[in-house]
Amino acid sequence: MTLIVRSESPIPARTTVWLEGRLDAATFGDLDSALRDITPMVDNGGTLVIDLSGLEYISSAGLRSLAQLRRQMHDRDGRTLLLNPQPQVKKVFEIVKAVPVAEVFASVAELDQYLDHMQRQITG
Amino acid sequence: MRLCIPNRLEDVFLALDRAEMTLDLAAIDHACRADVRLVLEELLVNTVRHGYPDGRVGEITIHLEICPDAVRLELRDDAEAFDPLQHEPPDLPGDIADREIGGLGLHLARSIASDFEYARDAHGNRVVIRFDPSLSDEPSS
Repeated sequence: MTLIVRSESPIPARTTVWLEGRLDAATFGDLDSALRDITPMVDNGGTLVIDLSGLEYISSAGLRSLAQLRRQMHDRDGRTLLLNPQPQVKKVFEIVKAVPVAEVFASVAELDQYLDHMQRQITG
Repeated sequence: MRLCIPNRLEDVFLALDRAEMTLDLAAIDHACRADVRLVLEELLVNTVRHGYPDGRVGEITIHLEICPDAVRLELRDDAEAFDPLQHEPPDLPGDIADREIGGLGLHLARSIASDFEYARDAHGNRVVIRFDPSLSDEPSS
């Protein structure tokens, strides 16, 4: 089993990337190269959602790729939100305190609620 | 399962798949299988990347044994001396994107294994790790 990366950008302000399979020392390069094409499509200040529902496994090599991606988005005033991590991924995130809890969402509904709230704050 | 592989990344991943298949056939649960795979990946990738700085061909032996109450993993290699237990755990700021943090893989391996021993003898490095499947619980939150 390898890694499958899919993405969709319904609006320039928000792109979703789905990861499926394993993100490890053998596959992180596939994610890095896919994201080189995907991230420029997100507006400066936009949101990149990484949907982890189909990601079964992550190792430190995968964590590094996600960290690098989050740094790149941050440098462009954007944010990266992580959706629905599965048990092994959640466990690895917890051990290394990989991501602020506020950036991880259990469901699309929770994520949408958060983004609506942020939007309301901006528009007043 | 006993495997002897050369110090190449592609062989490491073949070994990971073999180990996972062995655990699956022995009806070891999914969480424990993932733990073993993660510890194996972190340690073997580390050995292949850093253990042979002179570029020589090396040999790594993986012995996976399924005991009634535990999974026992023994790794031997002829790489440079390296004791994974001698490394301080990394300082974790709560967001790994804040800055580059070294040693995440070893920290994961040590956190997940129930028991971790290191020795060096005439053949090289030897690591013995035990996994207790009843502790491979998935996080509750």
